[in-house]
Amino acid sequence: MNTTANVYASASPASLFNRIIQNHSPIVIVLVALFLAVFLYGMVTAPNFLTLFNLKTIVRDAALVGIMAIGLTFVTLSGNFFLLSMKETAALSIIAFATAMSAGYGFELSFLFTMLIALAAGVLQGALIGLGGNPIVVTLGAAGLFFGVASWWSENLVVSFRRPHGAEWLGSGSLFGLPNITIAFILISITAEIVLRYSTFGRQVYLIGANRAAGKATGHENFSMAIKTCAIASICSAFVAIAFSAQVSSAHVNYFSSEFGSSGDMTILVIATVMVGGNSIMGGFGSTLRSSLGAVFISTVDNMMVLHGFNSGPRVLAVGLMIVFSIIVFALVRRGSRAQE
Amino acid sequence: MDTETGMFTRLKNAVAHNPDLAFAILLAVCVYGYFAFTNEFFATHRTVYAIMERFAVLGLVGLALTLCIIAGEIDLSIGSNAALAAVIVVRFTDSLGAETALLIAVATSTTIGLIQGYFIAYLRVRAIVLTVGTLMLLRGVALFAAEEKTVMLTDFTVPDFISEKMLGYFSPASLLVILTFVLVGLFMNYTRFGREIYAIGGARKEALASGISLKRPMIIVFAISGFCAGLGGVIIGLRSGTAQALGLQYLLLAGTVAAFIGGVSILGGRGGVIGAAIGTLTVNFLNTGLVFNVTPAFMVQLYLGILLMVVIMFQTGSRIFDDHQRRDQVMRDVDRRREMFLEKKRAAAASGVG
Repeated sequence: MNTTANVYASASPASLFNRIIQNHSPIVIVLVALFLAVFLYGMVTAPNFLTLFNLKTIVRDAALVGIMAIGLTFVTLSGNFFLLSMKETAALSIIAFATAMSAGYGFELSFLFTMLIALAAGVLQGALIGLGGNPIVVTLGAAGLFFGVASWWSENLVVSFRRPHGAEWLGSGSLFGLPNITIAFILISITAEIVLRYSTFGRQVYLIGANRAAGKATGHENFSMAIKTCAIASICSAFVAIAFSAQVSSAHVNYFSSEFGSSGDMTILVIATVMVGGNSIMGGFGSTLRSSLGAVFISTVDNMMVLHGFNSGPRVLAVGLMIVFSIIVFALVRRGSRAQE
Repeated sequence: MDTETGMFTRLKNAVAHNPDLAFAILLAVCVYGYFAFTNEFFATHRTVYAIMERFAVLGLVGLALTLCIIAGEIDLSIGSNAALAAVIVVRFTDSLGAETALLIAVATSTTIGLIQGYFIAYLRVRAIVLTVGTLMLLRGVALFAAEEKTVMLTDFTVPDFISEKMLGYFSPASLLVILTFVLVGLFMNYTRFGREIYAIGGARKEALASGISLKRPMIIVFAISGFCAGLGGVIIGLRSGTAQALGLQYLLLAGTVAAFIGGVSILGGRGGVIGAAIGTLTVNFLNTGLVFNVTPAFMVQLYLGILLMVVIMFQTGSRIFDDHQRRDQVMRDVDRRREMFLEKKRAAAASGVG
């Protein structure tokens, strides 16, 4: 992938065009061209789209989903598909955080408490996955469990805590004209990318995802990897939950369900982000940067459709189409290399 | 009488040779027994009717997921597909009548399943990858079809025929579902196409190498899955007279729990229709019993989640145990053979010297 990218960069426009024609099937080219055309048309015709304020809004909207997607990317890259419990982990965390805040423990202690709970949730799932349980089924069960625990804990009520509180800087503060949550998103994506590229742990993630048998033979078992990656994903969800709770000063288990945002529930939106970014669901290929860009991209399309005055139906439809589209295109492009698991 | 004892013996043999099924039956009896003893209203004729009514919907989803898991895949879009069918049937019942609307909805869902199966086999992606996309896509379509509102019938008495009491415990809906179970069971066990589904689930590489095409079984599985989801959604939609585009997502968890209790293996190729029926009944007993004990809905989800985790732990644990046993067996065999070989060599040396 890297070498082809370099060739693209160094080639003249004519030979670049030739290369694209040669390397990809006509269906892929037509699909991508069609999509780009629609995207550019929408971008140019949308009122107030190309303003600095709107750009900031887009990145801000992408931040919450993006942070969760970065966490999930670790799981996906290590070959453990995805977690269906992202929004339920967030629901459990948001209840934990709001309960601790309303009991008057202050921001730091509540933060720590929430992170510990999320860590426990991640380790539980990771251990079951690492022992050989199917990630989809394990996390489906865990999702029911966490949601049930969170509802039971909050008695299905809204838990609120009074302003001013110690978490306001995270929810609604800003620095240099950028909201703090946007800055957190940028920092987290840079950190995650550096960890994946240059640390031993990051390389192990790629190794186990690309070839589990080779990983096992060289002493890198999936057991500890599954625990670590699931813990990272859970902690990212907990961070998002805390940021969201800090913003609205309250918590309810349904904040991350279908009412959140426009595009259906949070878990599927996060998985969509990872897929639209172009990460391989089978593992071993992709990066967190792709997920961050995927989040910004989905947010851009959503923003464009809002500016055009579409309702939630067409917008959910658009995100669904984007996922299916990216699945088809990436499957066709990569055909032959990883055709079978 | 003779045939009856014959059938009984066959059933007994089937259970004895299938520990998963035995476990499922045991669990079902335990759950039923627990609620029958703790709640005086549970073991009554009316409750049986209520359970069969629930079975009509959940059974279909359990059956669909059982087939998918037998084929080594999982259909995540089942809830959205059911919701779409429910929206369609409720929207069209006023203008076209319940029967036509029902047919349109089920046909739409089946076609969607069929297309999904085709794409999964054509693109050679895992089903979870594609169905997580269609989950969102179908939700969008359903929202679009419902115009982002909760759709409602104008005359709530039109679809009453669907839950009319027949033969004591049944309604047309549950009879239809039982018929579906029987037909799918016969199909899976006695036709070549059904056996192909087991083959691509249990040993996909071997099945493909021996000339089974991936397309046909995939398309059949996902078409049946779409049909079941559609019929389930239609029954829910007609029974309640309303439909929501974002509803019915709980079906996936309940159906998966039912399939796993029924003895499917996540590795594919194991389980069957009888298991699916028993697994669904167990979940239904649990659901109905919890309703009798006035448990809030989220607690039901909590119990189902725990149940699924326990079943998975049980399955994974037994797999690890089996692997260890097999490895020990192999090591013992190697040791024994080496001993035999050395013994023979020693004997030969001794006789040569003698």
